[in-house]
Amino acid sequence: MKDQLKNLDQLSRRQFVARTAKTALGVSVIPLADGMQAVQAAGGGQAEHCIFFYMSGGMTHIDTFDPKPGTETGGQTKGIETGVAGIQVSEFMPGIAKRFKDVALVRSMTQKTGDHRGGSYWMHTSYAPRATIVHPTMGPWAQTILGKKHATLPDSVLIGGGGGGPGAGFFGPALAPLPIGDPEKGVQNSRPAQGVDDDLFDKRIDLMNTFDESFQRKFKTDEVAAYSQFYDETLNLMQSEDLDTFDLSKEPDVEKKLQSYGNGRIGKGSLLAKRLVSSGIRFVEVRGGGWDMHNNLWQAIPQRAGELDKALSALIDDLKAEGLFEKTLIVLGTEFGRTPKINANAGRDHFPRCFSTMFAGGGIQGGQVYGKSDKLGMSVEENPVTAGMFNATIAHALGMDLNKVVYAPSGRPFLVAGHTRDPQTDEIVTEYKPIMPFFS
Amino acid sequence: MKKPRLITPLATLLVGIAMLSISSIRAEMRTWTSADGKTLQAEFAGSIGSGSTAQVKLKLENGDLINYPISKLSEDDRIFVKGNLPTDPAALAAAIDQLVIDKIKESYYELRAELASLPQNEYLSNAEKLKRKQEIEREMEMCLPNERTTDQQFLRRIYLDLAGRIPTFDEAEIFLSERNPNKRANLIDQLLDSEAFAMRMYNYYSDLFRIREGVFMMGNGDLKVDPYIEYVKQSVRDDKPFDEMARELLTANGHIAQNPAAGYMLADSGMRLCNLSNTFTIFMGTEITCAQCHDHPFEEVYQMDFFKMASFMGETETRIRGRGDSMMMMSMGNNSRAEQERMGKILKAAGKLRENETTDRNLSGWMGTTNIVVHDDGSNAIQLPHDYKYDDGEPNMKVEPATYFGDIMDVAEFDSPRHAFAEWVVSPNNPRFTINTVNRFWKLAFGIGQIEPVYNIPGHLDGQAQNYELLTFLEEMMKDMDYSTKDFFRVIYNTQTYQREAETMSPSLAQMDKGSYHFPGPVLRRMSAEQLWDSLVALTTDNPEGVTRQGAQKYREWMQTDTTAFKTADEILAFKAKWGEIGRLTKYDGQYVSRDDNVGGEAMFRASEMRQPQAPGHFLRMFGQSDKQLIENQFKGGSSPQVMALLNGKITNSVLTSPDAYLIEEVANGRGSKGDKVDKIFLSVLTRYPSSNEKSAANSGMRARTDSGMSDKQKMAIEAKAIGNVIWALVNTREFMFIQ
Repeated sequence: MKDQLKNLDQLSRRQFVARTAKTALGVSVIPLADGMQAVQAAGGGQAEHCIFFYMSGGMTHIDTFDPKPGTETGGQTKGIETGVAGIQVSEFMPGIAKRFKDVALVRSMTQKTGDHRGGSYWMHTSYAPRATIVHPTMGPWAQTILGKKHATLPDSVLIGGGGGGPGAGFFGPALAPLPIGDPEKGVQNSRPAQGVDDDLFDKRIDLMNTFDESFQRKFKTDEVAAYSQFYDETLNLMQSEDLDTFDLSKEPDVEKKLQSYGNGRIGKGSLLAKRLVSSGIRFVEVRGGGWDMHNNLWQAIPQRAGELDKALSALIDDLKAEGLFEKTLIVLGTEFGRTPKINANAGRDHFPRCFSTMFAGGGIQGGQVYGKSDKLGMSVEENPVTAGMFNATIAHALGMDLNKVVYAPSGRPFLVAGHTRDPQTDEIVTEYKPIMPFFS
Repeated sequence: MKKPRLITPLATLLVGIAMLSISSIRAEMRTWTSADGKTLQAEFAGSIGSGSTAQVKLKLENGDLINYPISKLSEDDRIFVKGNLPTDPAALAAAIDQLVIDKIKESYYELRAELASLPQNEYLSNAEKLKRKQEIEREMEMCLPNERTTDQQFLRRIYLDLAGRIPTFDEAEIFLSERNPNKRANLIDQLLDSEAFAMRMYNYYSDLFRIREGVFMMGNGDLKVDPYIEYVKQSVRDDKPFDEMARELLTANGHIAQNPAAGYMLADSGMRLCNLSNTFTIFMGTEITCAQCHDHPFEEVYQMDFFKMASFMGETETRIRGRGDSMMMMSMGNNSRAEQERMGKILKAAGKLRENETTDRNLSGWMGTTNIVVHDDGSNAIQLPHDYKYDDGEPNMKVEPATYFGDIMDVAEFDSPRHAFAEWVVSPNNPRFTINTVNRFWKLAFGIGQIEPVYNIPGHLDGQAQNYELLTFLEEMMKDMDYSTKDFFRVIYNTQTYQREAETMSPSLAQMDKGSYHFPGPVLRRMSAEQLWDSLVALTTDNPEGVTRQGAQKYREWMQTDTTAFKTADEILAFKAKWGEIGRLTKYDGQYVSRDDNVGGEAMFRASEMRQPQAPGHFLRMFGQSDKQLIENQFKGGSSPQVMALLNGKITNSVLTSPDAYLIEEVANGRGSKGDKVDKIFLSVLTRYPSSNEKSAANSGMRARTDSGMSDKQKMAIEAKAIGNVIWALVNTREFMFIQ
């Protein structure tokens, strides 16, 4: 057993120390895209990009993708037809109903924890939270397994949500998704401060270089060189068209488009995500909030679900018009569902046992539902789907090798959709498999 | 500065050694007795090594020097040796310098010999020889001790290391104008006793122990962490021995408000196995996480060992279960639930609750945090995992506590298995506790540990450490000092090794791997996020430590409030409001901080006093403040968002250049000439005066276009803006960001 592990690891203590020494010194190594290729097995690998809508707070399944009209748990929410026999979605998702031939739902999601942070962590990483390691999210995983997608633009971007969450985890800050707090403001601090025109900016840079000359001549360390390089790159970025990529106002017909996407945060986030993806960025997460509906759910749901429905619908249409729909995986996830039983405050509480998620585009076969909840939405009746399977499906669509072992700086092995040991070979293999019917 | 080419480095070395000889050891002829009764006349000439292998150096009448194992001396002689070893900081510092120089010298000779024999090496190709030759030459350059720092360089570095920030303009002026030859040692003493040192060490410990608001991994509940923060700072102020602090953290029972050290166990609430791994990493520099799931691949740690160790913590709980019996809130008698409902009714009647609510959700949640209590419940929850596959145990089998190195502990002799574990950790016989402590503290001062990575000390130290003799010397020194952190740092910062200029090259990974960087000086480090932020604070105020967090006492008061005395909704709401006041910052005059105390619209107070950790988008987090989820999770790498924040962000464009900023007030209101302004700005930001070239560039950059028609206020604003150009440029230099 011990020898087995040693062989598997392919790491001597010496390499191990060198690896950890790098992180101790803060030297980050960004993998390059040479020789790495997407795996196009079994219908996967068609997606070059992913837009991941994350509904934080715990999105009610019964009032969005898994309505139970006329039952004791259905509440005031009615169902509407999707055009696929026997499948309804809630009345608050008319756009999705109309586009259902392009959409695949999972109605049998199940989760081990009912706390927001733990559930969100699990959904983003496939792993349970631990106090000894932070696991990476899917964007940094894709960059690690598939290589960097664009020469100058970042590989993953996080819109909304204040930049929290596990981010790049043990891959380190260099792979962290670029945070964009407000889709309308773009990249923070990317333009000179108010009152600083080009002349003054250049003058200040000259002053900086004069003052720093003796220090830079003396100290030739890697860390100083890295910072100087960041200054050069940032000054280039500030003048390059790349920056316009993050500027929503530069989108052609932006006002008109926002009418269909919706003018709220989720609509703007969705349009910006489309813009980023069409510029070549691989992974964009759009965070939407306001789903923690403990009180007065039916006062909130028409607007909340309505905005989401608009944002998703417009995105699907737009990607199709640009010919990007088949290359772009759209995913919608949340940490858990909400109690089928309506509480005393006309709301629903946290419900990890059963909830719904959505997939579209990027090679996903639409017009279907995977898994099934019981009559009341209380439990999973068939084909339970865990966070690991959810992420395995994303990884498969993007062509990531689910069995690729990646080592944390501490030497521990991890896989994109969780890991386990093959009882026959004793090798470390993926714990979870993708939802294959989505790729038929 | 280091010369670009090696010219007679040995001569320089030898001069250095001559200057560093130890003169404090008493030299007189006396009779030495061995444990088996033999005697010998000799002078005491010092000692080498430590622990059971330590030897005494004896100078015989004929002048010969011999080494004799201390363990073989009579007890009286052993006491004599211990009592006559150098104890004053200067002598200890000199002994450390000697060990550093010895190692550098040894390394230099080895490299020179290897270089000479390289042409004859049969195992290397010509290309490999060339590569190795370059490596050797590079390493030989690092065998030349760096020059002594100037007063300006020393001043800046010692402030950053001990006070956690650069010196203010006034502090710099005072030190630089002082003539006392002992002024460096005096400044070290002064800083060690300052509040700034407590803040600096708090920042270090909070990254190590993961001190965060809300405490819990999962962020449930809103348990105030103020008492724990205050405990750590007070331990630094009191110079609590580090082993004592470790023991308190590991054994604390009760609620965080009553026994603040309980915060340590709460950081891993509900995750005993993770807590054990973390404790090994923090206090023993040992990574055993992997043994949680399988035998350790590189070290002799078996999965069974892990669970035997975990079993020491198996009785420890972090919650009082059940409803009616929650303790703490003294006034609530035995039923906090009923009390919450009673108050809810009063609030409801007064129309202070929402339509469907029966209790105040927030207030009930906060009162619920009184349930969060560390205690040992007497039943051990540790068993082997369900998939345990080795033949020394069955799945789900109960495991009894047992250690796998160091002392063997008899649990029955202690209050709880956890107490036994704590004693084992801090025992002088634990081969890792003291080594880990001195290695981590050395890294804090020099930028690299004697062993890297610091969280993974190998089982066999010799050959892995940069300097084994030095490491064991530091270990003994720490033990002799009874784990006084201040005394330890006093010695370290008084060494010539520390007071040399920073190394101008990065140690290579090969050097890190082989442990062959021997400290010609500290390595060049980027400021930590906290050092950077706190330095910016020092540019905006003349009293950077003037605003502090005073929540510990307020939290205790809140906890002890007799809520049953509340009869009206107003009383209850006033009590509720007090919760929010616990975390509010307080000025030196006792007043709460308000928006008016911001500079340029930004709350510029020391990082240790603000939210722990800051929100993800904050300047501190952008520059690498730890999220406090993992041990030592801060980072010092660069990024474009950082550079954009410094080029275009608020701090450099409106905060430091705000008319309220000390730097501007001082400069704009100063009566000196324009030239003085440049000097003052340079001294404030870079802790040095400008060269003539820099001065003329600065003056042209500061040219403000004012005209006689403007009011004084308008003129000042325009001047501040012009001065702002220079400040902006200085803060954006690498010289500002890195610690020489």
